[in-house]
Order: sequence, then C-alpha cells, then structure tokens
Amino acid sequence: MTHQIRRRDMVRVGGLTAFGFGLADWFRLQSKTVLHAADGRALKTARSCILLWLDGGPSHLETFDLKPNAPVEVRGPFRPISTNVSGIEVSELLPRMAGICDKLAIIRSMTSPLGEHGIANRYLLTGYKPSPAIDYPSFGSVLTHVRRAQLVLPPYVAIPESRLANAGFLGSAFEPFATGGDPSKPDFRVRDLDFFPGIDESRMKRRREFLQEFDRKQSRFESPEFASSSSFDRAYRLVTSPEAKQAFDLSSETDTVRAKYGPRMFGQSCLLARRLVECGVPFVSVLNTGWDTHEGLSIPLRDGFSGAKVGVGLIPTFDQGYSALLSDLSERGLLEETLVIAMGEFGRTPKLNPRGGRDHWPRVFSVVLAGGGVRGGQVIGSSDRVGESPRDNPVTPNDLAHSIYVMLGVEPDLELRTADGRPVPVNQGGKLIQGLV
Amino acid sequence: MMIVACLFCLMLFLFDDGGSKGDHPVNFYADIIPVLTKAGCNSGACHGAAAGRGGLHLSLLGSDPAADFESIVHDLEGRRVNLAKPDRSLIFAKPTGQLNHGGDVVLASDGPGAKRMLDWIAAGARPATSRKLTHVEVAPRRLLSDSVLTKVPLQVMARFDEGSPQDVTQSTVFTSADPGSVEIDANSVAHIKRRGQHVVLARFLDRILPIQLSVPFFDKAVDLGNEPSANFIDEEVVRVLSELKVPISPQASDAIWLRRVTLDLTGRLPQPEVAEYFLQANSPGKRNAAVESLLLSEGFVDYWTLQFAKSLRLHSLPNEKEGMLAYDEWLRAEIRKGTGLDEIGRTLLIATGDSHVVGPANFGRMVSDARDHAELVGTFFLGMRLGCANCHNHPLDKWTQDDYHGLAAVFAKLDRGRHVHLAARGAVTNLRTNEPAVPRIPGERFLSVDGDHREEFARWAISSDNRYFAKAMVNRLWRSMFSQGLVEPADDLRDTNPATHPELLNRLANDFVSHGYSLRHTLKLIALSRTYGRDGSNPENEIARQFYSHYLRRPMMPEVLADAIADVTGVQDQFPDQPIGTRAIMLVDSSASTPSLDILGRCSGVAACSDGNAAAGGLPAQLHLLNGEFINSKVTSKGGRLHDMIARGRTDEEIVSEFYLRAMGQRPATDELKTWSARVADDNAVARTKKLEDLVWSLLNSREFAENR
Repeated sequence: MTHQIRRRDMVRVGGLTAFGFGLADWFRLQSKTVLHAADGRALKTARSCILLWLDGGPSHLETFDLKPNAPVEVRGPFRPISTNVSGIEVSELLPRMAGICDKLAIIRSMTSPLGEHGIANRYLLTGYKPSPAIDYPSFGSVLTHVRRAQLVLPPYVAIPESRLANAGFLGSAFEPFATGGDPSKPDFRVRDLDFFPGIDESRMKRRREFLQEFDRKQSRFESPEFASSSSFDRAYRLVTSPEAKQAFDLSSETDTVRAKYGPRMFGQSCLLARRLVECGVPFVSVLNTGWDTHEGLSIPLRDGFSGAKVGVGLIPTFDQGYSALLSDLSERGLLEETLVIAMGEFGRTPKLNPRGGRDHWPRVFSVVLAGGGVRGGQVIGSSDRVGESPRDNPVTPNDLAHSIYVMLGVEPDLELRTADGRPVPVNQGGKLIQGLV
Repeated sequence: MMIVACLFCLMLFLFDDGGSKGDHPVNFYADIIPVLTKAGCNSGACHGAAAGRGGLHLSLLGSDPAADFESIVHDLEGRRVNLAKPDRSLIFAKPTGQLNHGGDVVLASDGPGAKRMLDWIAAGARPATSRKLTHVEVAPRRLLSDSVLTKVPLQVMARFDEGSPQDVTQSTVFTSADPGSVEIDANSVAHIKRRGQHVVLARFLDRILPIQLSVPFFDKAVDLGNEPSANFIDEEVVRVLSELKVPISPQASDAIWLRRVTLDLTGRLPQPEVAEYFLQANSPGKRNAAVESLLLSEGFVDYWTLQFAKSLRLHSLPNEKEGMLAYDEWLRAEIRKGTGLDEIGRTLLIATGDSHVVGPANFGRMVSDARDHAELVGTFFLGMRLGCANCHNHPLDKWTQDDYHGLAAVFAKLDRGRHVHLAARGAVTNLRTNEPAVPRIPGERFLSVDGDHREEFARWAISSDNRYFAKAMVNRLWRSMFSQGLVEPADDLRDTNPATHPELLNRLANDFVSHGYSLRHTLKLIALSRTYGRDGSNPENEIARQFYSHYLRRPMMPEVLADAIADVTGVQDQFPDQPIGTRAIMLVDSSASTPSLDILGRCSGVAACSDGNAAAGGLPAQLHLLNGEFINSKVTSKGGRLHDMIARGRTDEEIVSEFYLRAMGQRPATDELKTWSARVADDNAVARTKKLEDLVWSLLNSREFAENR
C-alpha cells in the first residue's frame, strides 16, 4: 500500500459502490501500480482528478506568465503581483490564488504546434495529436476504463457538459456524464434524475425485466462489449440510489460554503466537483467557456461586462472558484488524493492585435496543477522575454498527459484496445515532467 | 540572366538525354524541394508554418518554389548558401547537424539528399528554370497480399516535360494513413502489419497518389461467384468482399427490409396496413413497388428536406423567421417536384432578391461573410473542407490560399441583408498577399477582378469539369442509407482521403449525372441493391465494417425517434411555436430550441452537422428516456393508443400484437405473443394497465425499436 486511507473515506467510498467493487478495485490498482519518481522514491497516486477546462485558450500573458518589462503591445493591461511564494508572480486579477501559490505548480513552458480549437483541445485532453485513423480517448475516459470502478455514480462527470474530446475508441460506455443545467441556479437539478410521477421502484424493476427480455433477442448477435443494456443499467442504478442523488444536491451545503465559491456558474460547478470527488467519483471536468479573447481583453477577462464596477470577468471568477476549491479540498484532507488541473487548449499571441485582443498561440502557454502529489510552490519551465516561445524545459501536451496518467496511477505503457483489437498505449513517447512530483 | 537560363536549359537537355538516373544537373524545383519535403523542413510544424521558424520561412510542403528559392538563396544576405564552400552553407550545415539546429538532425550528411543539395550549391545554386513535372507514377498502386508481415518495396517514377522518366522514390514522402497497420521504413518499403484494406499516400512535389495495400481478413476463400447483383453497386461491393475474403450476411427478411427502407427514405416507421399488405404479397416486384411508393410519399419530402436543411445550415435569423420559412418552403417544393440537384445547386449559388420571398436567396444569409460563404460552398458543393487554406495552403490537399480567398472573392460583393443583392463594392483580403483577393475558381483559374462571377462559378461547379460535385452528393446519399460514406468524413473529399471503393464512387457519380442529378434515382438504386438488403452482422463478418458484408445497425436520429414514438403511442408531440400536427422531422430550423430533441442528441446551433442520435446523448439521453416525459407521458396519456385500446376492451393479445406491429413492423411470433400476454395479464384492472404501460415503455426503449437495423 502506498496510500493512507482513513476509515471515514472507506465508508464513504464503499457505501456508494454497487456491488462493493469500487474500493477493492482501487486497492488492487494501488498495489499494482506503484510508480517511481526519477530519484527512485515511490509516488503516491491520486484517487480522483478535477479538470477545470478553460475553453477557448486562456491568455498566459494575463494570468500566470506576465511580462511587465516587455514592450507595451506585448505587456497588456494587467500588472503582476507577488504571491506567498517568493519569486513567483501572477496577475493582479488572481489575488486569492496568489495566497495559495505554495500549493500550485505553474508550468510556463507548455508548447504545442496545434493552434485550432478543435484539434488543440483534443491534443491537450488525450496527449495524442488527432489522427484520422484513431479517435483517441481523453483522460477521464481512460481512467474510467482502467479503473473499472463499479460506482453507482458515473465515474466521469462533466459539469455542465462536455464538448471536449471524449471516450474516442473506448466507446460510449466511457463517455462522460453531463449534468446539464447551471449549478449556480437555485433550481439546479441534474436532468431526469428523479422518477416520473406515478412510477415507483417496483414498476421500475418490472420495466427493467421487460426491457432485458426485448434486448436479449438482439444481443445474441453481438459481442459482449456492445451488450445493449449496459447504458440502461447504469442509468437504472443511478436513479434508484438515494445516496447518488444526494451527491448532486448542492442545497445540502451551508450558505457559508456556497458563498466561498462565489455566486457564478464556475464557482458552484467547482463546489459540485468537490462533492462528487468526496463521494468517490474518479474524474470530474468543469467546463468554463469564453477564453477565446480575440478582442478587447479587459472586458471578458476582468470586467465581465462593459461598465462593471467590480470585475466579474473570467479571471476574477476563476480566481474565486479555484482558490475556494483548493482550500476546501485541503481542509477536508482531500487535496493530497485529488489532482486538480486548470488548463485550456493554447495560449494567446504575444502581441496584442489591432482590436485589443490576442489570437491563438500554442507555441508557449501555461498550465496549473495542484494536489494529488504535485509539489506546490514552484514554477516549471519559462517562456522567453515576450512570452513567444519556451525558454527552457519545454513541456508538450504529450508530456503533460504522461505525467497526469502517472499521477493518477495509470501506467502510461498500458495497452488499450480499439474496437477491432488494435493495441494503443495509454501514452506514447511522453516524459514525466521533471520536478513535478 | 536570360542567357544563363538558356544555357542551363541546353545543358539540362544534353545531360538528360542519357536517360540514366542522376545525370541531369540538380534542379531546385525537381530535386531540392523534394529533399526539403522529405526531411520535414517545410512541414507545418517547422519552417512551413505561417510564421516560419527560427527566421526561415518555407512554403508549406514546397507549394511555392519561387518563394522558397528566394528564402534560401537570397534572404539573410545569401548566407544560407556558400557557393565557394557548399558544405558551409547554412541550408546544408543546419539540417545535417554540423551547426546547431533547433529542429535537430533531419538530414544524413552522407545521404543522397545531402549529396544532391551539395551538388546543387556547387553548381551555382540555380533557380528552377525549366523542367515541369508532368506525370508521377507509383508502383504498386494496388496490392493484394495473402498474408500480413508482407514487405512491399514502393517505387515512384516522375516524368518531367523534358528528359526521361526519373526514379524519385528516395525523394518521395510516404505516409501511412494508419501506421499501426502499415509502416514505411527508411528504404521506402511498406510493412503490412494488419489484415484489411490500407492506404499509403505518396507525395512528390505537389502530387499525391494513394497506394492501396490489402490483406484478406480471413484465410478461407469466400465464394461469391454466384452472388447475384441487382445493379453495379453489388458488383463493386462483392468484388472487394471476395478480394478481402469476407463472408456476407444473407438477405434480410421482408419485414426488416421494409422497416429499414421506410426509415431511410421517409424517416418514419411503416404504416401497419402497408406492412401487413407487403408481408403477405408474393409478387417478385414488390420491393420495387414499395420503393417507388415511398419515393412519391410526402414523408420522403419531409425527410429529405430535413437532410438538406442540415447540410445547408438552415436556421432563422434573429427576429426574422420569414426568411427561414421561405427557404424551407422552396426547398420542400423543389424536392417534391424532383428538381435535379444540379438545378437546385445552381439556384442556390446565384439567387438574389427579397429573402422573405425568394427562398434560395437565403443561402448566403446562413453564413456571416464571404469566407464563411466559401467554406459552405466548399462543403456543400465540393465536399471539401477549405478552412485550412484561410491561413495557409491546405497541408493535406491541393488548396492554396489563393484558391480559398479567390473563392471567397466570388461572393465578396453579396449584400447579405434582407434584400440579397450584389453591391457595387466588396472585397476580401488575401491573407497571403494582404491585397484584395482575385476571384478564382479553386484549383482552376483566376477570373477578372470586376463583375459578378457567381454564374461562371456555378457553371463550373456543376459541370463535368468539376469532378467533386456529383461525388459529394452521391457520397452524402450513400452515407444516409448506410450510415457511413464511401469517403469519411463525408465532407472531406480529397486525394489524401481516398474512398473505400473508389470505382463504386465514380460509377455512382457518373450514373447520378446521367440521370439528371436525380435524388430519387440514386436512392432507388441503392435501396434496391442486394448490398442494402443484407442482414446485420454475424460473428464471422462484423470485423469488416467498412465493406458492406452486412448492414450496419444504427440508432435512429432524434427527430425520427421522436416521431416514431409519437406514432406508436398515438400521442403527437406539441413543439414550441409550431402548429398542432407538426412532426419532429419538419423542424428544419436548427436555431429553434426543442428541449426533448436536443437532449436526445439532435444537432443544434448553426454549425454544420450531419450526425446526431440518442447514443450521442449518452447517459443523459438514457435518463431522459427512463424518467423524462418524452416516453412516459405518451404511454400514460388518456388520449393515447394504449388507454384507448384498454377503454375499448381490447384483449391482452390484441394490444400486444398491435404495438408490436407498429413498433417493429411485424406481428410477434406465436410464442412471443403468448409470453407477453401472460406477463401483462392481471385480474385487477389498475394493475393490468400499469403492466401494459410498462410493456409499451420497455418496447419503446428496446434497441430493436430504437435502431434502424
């Protein structure tokens, strides 16, 4: 065993598994995949992962890699501030994150050749450059596939939805479960989680029997992987479990906790992510859109709307949600076992364009990791004087994927199989990021 | 300069006359560009990027040799070539690793490519003055091997406008479409590693040739000699299946075939009386008659209007529903009349007028500007994704930035307000030159700067000069009948993405053209083929998914599923802002939100999309079917078919049989009928009703119902 689990966790995790598989499964996995750092020390692996996906490509120059000494057309409107780690500076719009910088590993030398949203986000989320021949699966789907946890809760939850790289060749059983809706709304409910009026458990059970009978006829012709009822069964188990429903219920959080995460969708999505991780969900993604800032940076990034007195734009909203999540996880003793990733598909052009925005720039950008064994309080790699290219220690999305898999206890060499039986390794050619763990 | 050039020609002529390889002086275009391409220097990830790399910019994959010559020979004060000491030239010393190179060592200093480069520099680093590439040939073009682990040496011969053919294998870039199946080694030998049909692309200068390498899926011979053909589709499909030794599934039963063809041609389930009549009929021409009558039905018009509306991104503009309505009405009328797709296409390209009245004038209003217009024209008319060529020449295809911006320029003057007309002015900037783009027929010719070129473009697009229009159309039709195109993705026709059945695609396209670009003609041809009529997969042939040994089951698209559920339960959906009786497949406006359809995975929004089904909706769709009102409210509705039959005192058997027929297209078998009747029987009327509701619910959630199979 490489990991300490308190009894409280065990009850919690175990209570939510369908047939008691989940926990045993994780133990088995833990004992098998002891991974080692470069210096030979055994690494702890994270039980869960929360991916905060900043869709559209957040500007590294306005967030984690400011260039105060660069020419004005590069520098942009915001100034850096110091953090609780001496020598590390972040944007003035991230004061709360500055206070927990000792928990963060900021990679400033991410680099990729892909500058179009669709293909870039697939590269970042799978570690593979998109190929016409193979539709590669994303982290969450691979983790779901490898762990095979028989949770009642979906093993991969997307809040509120996933328009990202999904299960790929692993197939629809490993697709993320999208909650829909907006967790910050008082009437937020996961769609269709409750029984239709007039239907009770006994009728639900009968429907299930009938349906199995209809589908038995068809599944005779097909290989077991395509067995029809699996997606129905998952849905069935979910809607018949009160504990599972409870996990999605934000109203059972106190007002103080809810307020800490901020009133907006991103913050409340982070809170929901924390609840799910607490209940044993291995992978939760939070989609945060709007980072494709081609014009007028200040409004979307700082203000939120023109004429705003208090900035409610993307960066302040992110700052509040992210820092609340990290502190909350930490206070509950979950941070050590939860890897938190914040990233988008690329950075933005060093030079402001004539419309006061920045365009796509994959050659260098920043990613922030925390928890799950990540060594905090450090900056990995750096970009050049104007944030145009990596200056040292370049990290490709492939390396990042490799490192994420290692931290989650998934052997990068592990072979997955496509529908026609072809072996494809979880990660190919990536390297563990030096000093990250 | 003139004299030098002529001397050079003369020398070339003299030397090349010998015919043997390597005798001619090294030519920048014919010899050096391929070396750069082969070494990856001009790839998009390196110096071929729009901004170049490390100060050196080369055109993507050597598409602009003159510019590359400038960059290499003249830029940087000529330091990239050193005529006195060729091996000190940066263009040699960097890629061979003798000087520090950000891109590592990519060229062996003692290899043939390096030697050619030194020879070229030693001979004065001359520009390309003659030698036009006229023809490239690969060997083999197709190869069928009996076993995996076969090694296939590849050879490429190039013919220039002067001189004898030259072996250019070493300067050709070979790319395996799927390196896990075929690997190409440094000696241009293909190693086949898996069974199946694989493609390797050979790129020499601007030519790309596909090489097809196949190994049968099975060792056992498959005798398809006696397999009859209804038409040429079967001939082509069976030929490939016998090469690949894939056993075929038998023909599907009449009931399955009728349900399938009714869903594929009209997007609805067979009417019970039609199904019963068809199943008991004995005439040999009954399938033909069934297809004829489906093609003439109103359901056909609804379904194909929706299909085209999706390809054309039909949607209503803010506060302006009239345009969408006019567009829908026009499209519907043309499809009903059977207007050829050539005529429909031409009208879309040139229509102007009040878009609230003139339906096709809305074509250009579905996009935001001329570039977007060009991209929509690209996907719809050419089956091509031109988007890449906005910022740089297409890396996988022949499209250049001039093509892209030139096509956009054809539509630059279009005023996209309510009254669509040609404005006096309007231009798009060619991002390559930063000058106004010159209107151009992509891949063909420039047009004059002034005037309206839409007519001329339309004449070209829908003519035998453009080999893509008919192919794009038939590929789309094929896809909607078989759930996969002969080319996939269906709007990505290009030389580097060859069809699984290239001859079949050609024949379908030619047949389509010679039958007046008729939608109904080609659909009928497909529907009556034995290929279309086959049963689903069996364990022997399910691996060969791309080759039509069996019919691919697929989930119904959300609109069709919604209508099918409404028809079986006898409870119509009421969609927001739509008259009563509107069917889901009549909702062509993709911007109108329809929650129950969206949750089932309907394509919404204005982006082009041709897919969408409940499987795409995943667990949420499953939950909605389980707990949502989509099915539940219809099953329990007092006005619905089930409660009506109960109220009229129908027996368990009558009810089971009726729902089975409506949902599956045939009555249940005797034992099935008995089993189900017994399971729902109950002396307590309330309990019986609940059981019957649960039965109907389960039937509608079963895969047998929700799939077209």
